[in-house]
Amino acid sequence: MNPANLNTDAQTVTFAIMAAVLPFAAFAVNFLVFTKSKVAGWASTLAILGSSVLAATVFARVWNTHTIHVQTVWFTIGATKVYAGILLNNLSVLLLGLVSVVALPVHVYGTTYMKDDENFSLYFRYLSFFCFSMLALVIVDSLVLFYAFWELVGFSSYLLIGFWYHRDKAVAANKKAFIMNRIGDIGLLSAIIILFVQFGTFDIDALFRSDGLVASSVLANGEWTSTINHLPAMWHYIAFAGIFLAVAAKSSQFPLHTWLPDAMEGPTSVSALIHAATMVASGVFLLGRVYPLFNAGELTFLAIIGCFTAFMAATIALTQNDLKRILAYSTVSQLGYMVMAMGVGAYSSSLFHLATHAFFKCLLFLVAGVIIHEVKHISDENNLDIDPQNILHMGGLRKRLPVTFWVAIVGAVALIGLPLTSGYLSKDGILIQAFNWSDGKSGIFKLVPAIATFTSWLTAFYVARLIVKVFFGEFRLLQMKPNISVHISDGGWGYKAPLILLALCCLFPLFSINPFSYEQAWPFTGLMQANAPAVEGAYHLVVPVLVNVVSLLVMYGAYRLYSGRSTWAFPQNNLLFRISCNEWYIDRFYNRVIVKYVVALSTAAFWFDRKVVDGFIHLLEKTGQLVAKAAAWTDKYIIDGTLWLLAQIVQAIGNFTRRFQGGKIQYYLYSMLLAVIVFFVFKLIWT
Amino acid sequence: MIGLQDYMLVSALLFCIGLFIVVSKKNAIQVLIGIELMLNAAILNLVAFSRYDSFKNAGQMFALFAIVLAAATTAVALAIILNVYRRYKTINPDEVNQLKD
Repeated sequence: MNPANLNTDAQTVTFAIMAAVLPFAAFAVNFLVFTKSKVAGWASTLAILGSSVLAATVFARVWNTHTIHVQTVWFTIGATKVYAGILLNNLSVLLLGLVSVVALPVHVYGTTYMKDDENFSLYFRYLSFFCFSMLALVIVDSLVLFYAFWELVGFSSYLLIGFWYHRDKAVAANKKAFIMNRIGDIGLLSAIIILFVQFGTFDIDALFRSDGLVASSVLANGEWTSTINHLPAMWHYIAFAGIFLAVAAKSSQFPLHTWLPDAMEGPTSVSALIHAATMVASGVFLLGRVYPLFNAGELTFLAIIGCFTAFMAATIALTQNDLKRILAYSTVSQLGYMVMAMGVGAYSSSLFHLATHAFFKCLLFLVAGVIIHEVKHISDENNLDIDPQNILHMGGLRKRLPVTFWVAIVGAVALIGLPLTSGYLSKDGILIQAFNWSDGKSGIFKLVPAIATFTSWLTAFYVARLIVKVFFGEFRLLQMKPNISVHISDGGWGYKAPLILLALCCLFPLFSINPFSYEQAWPFTGLMQANAPAVEGAYHLVVPVLVNVVSLLVMYGAYRLYSGRSTWAFPQNNLLFRISCNEWYIDRFYNRVIVKYVVALSTAAFWFDRKVVDGFIHLLEKTGQLVAKAAAWTDKYIIDGTLWLLAQIVQAIGNFTRRFQGGKIQYYLYSMLLAVIVFFVFKLIWT
Repeated sequence: MIGLQDYMLVSALLFCIGLFIVVSKKNAIQVLIGIELMLNAAILNLVAFSRYDSFKNAGQMFALFAIVLAAATTAVALAIILNVYRRYKTINPDEVNQLKD
């Protein structure tokens, strides 16, 4: 490597660090200067714009060329040096670019969306802090730093979800998100510690590169052997379990997914960001970082959990009526796809889907934000008491919100994965590789791609339902109350520009020249693992055709069903409907089985603390007081009393003797007489 | 029959009365009278004891001397009292309390 190249690398690293630090600078400026000002929004937006430009530069320099890894000694414990540094490889620069590029329209949108909020500056402070955490998370090279930023992402999302802290539901939601994420954090921390014990380093590059320490460790005969240590194989599984918990918590996989739908209580633009490339993506990103750790069994576990999560979330999304909740479950479902893809070995497809999903999910959430904003506007104008997020009130909005309608169609089509969109490229990649993976395995494994395919049809159905209920047919609010006034529009460029930008990013040209072949998409080839299985076979043709034709039929069915052209309706009261509508009773199950007992245990602990621990302390205190009182009494009456008595005696003697020198004749006589008498008395006694 | 013991009892009685008067009275003249009583008690003793010395009558001689001395001292004491009165405008011995220093 020549010196000029080194210089460029140092510059690239500086750019990457600056890209991460700029939002933090915006946070600091907003915190210190623009505490009450609308300028805060533009400060944050400018910072993220700067980050995007820098991230794009870094991306252009690193992507598919080489890995840059610089580090410096952070601290030393005994003989162990712990390094901190920056690791820029294809994965991290992709995420770096993705996060900043998706965050940019969200910021622009936020300046308009939040302009009437009294905590406008606070919102952008939180948002900048969140972006800083996430950007730093993707570029650090040490597991310790990774953990630190992982925590910060969780913490700032907690702040954002509970942004409207005066609403009880928002506070409950952010607590839930935080607690769920704590469970994952414990897992991640355990895994990091186990990895450190086994390999003696926190360095992600040294651990997880293709010829790294993890890849060269051997798991055989119940022993897990690395170059410096060997542990029972059990520890490998515990480390995996820890990582899985972390992924499940952040990326909202079953069984820790329930916080994500509740997290919709935050502002819609926050939902857009959390769901797109940041918070929930970090779990999949973590999987991508530590991928070499997993053995075949563990990958299968990931595939099954991911597949189940995708399916479960899709079935729940079918019956929800809250606009944002549908999208939230859709996110859970798509994240399930990504985890499943990791499990079936479709490493690059998983991350490719992460990238494409970021754009269209962000777009759909921003669309939801516009719709909610406009419906809320109607309800405020007419003093209606309705839930502005309920899709049952909507309908026919395509004529009133044309721009929103068209970008929503683009986002929806990308989410369903129809050809010519980015979603098609990434999702079909996952499905095809899942089918390939199940080949040569026993029949039960066929269920995974089968369920995944079925889930993609479910996706088509609920997305079509959402679009039709919102945009087609007649405006139901107007039908119910014909005399309300409806003045709504797409809004200004603060809304339109981000939406259009994101909509363009949902189309295939951003990712691939050939709209039908995911193998030519640059994120796919760039992230290809060296040892990934070759993709071939008839699935290439069969799967996309089958999936898309059925999806189209399903969408048409949903259109017929929900636009009012069919009199047939789903039964609303059978078991399946109830399971779906109640979100598989998972929350209720948690409340019954876990929360209740945890609360009871906490109450008991509280009682124990109050009564027993505090009681013991009180007892000690009382005893001490008693002893002190006794001591005080002794001091006052016995010791002081003795002294007092002595003083009194001495005083009495003094008073008594003083009289003999009183200067009065008769006392002198007394004294004389006394002396004579005493003399004679003694004389009498002794003779 | 009146014996020596009776004289000594009377003498002791007189002495005690005199002593009591000396320490308790608030008038210097009365104190002087007390002193005379004590002196007389002593003289009575001298006279009583002189019975056992009838040959030389030394006791009676001492008694005469004592009577003369008593008269002289009384004159001196009265002079002192007059001077005290002139200085303090009182002859109450309690108020004449400057004998210290």
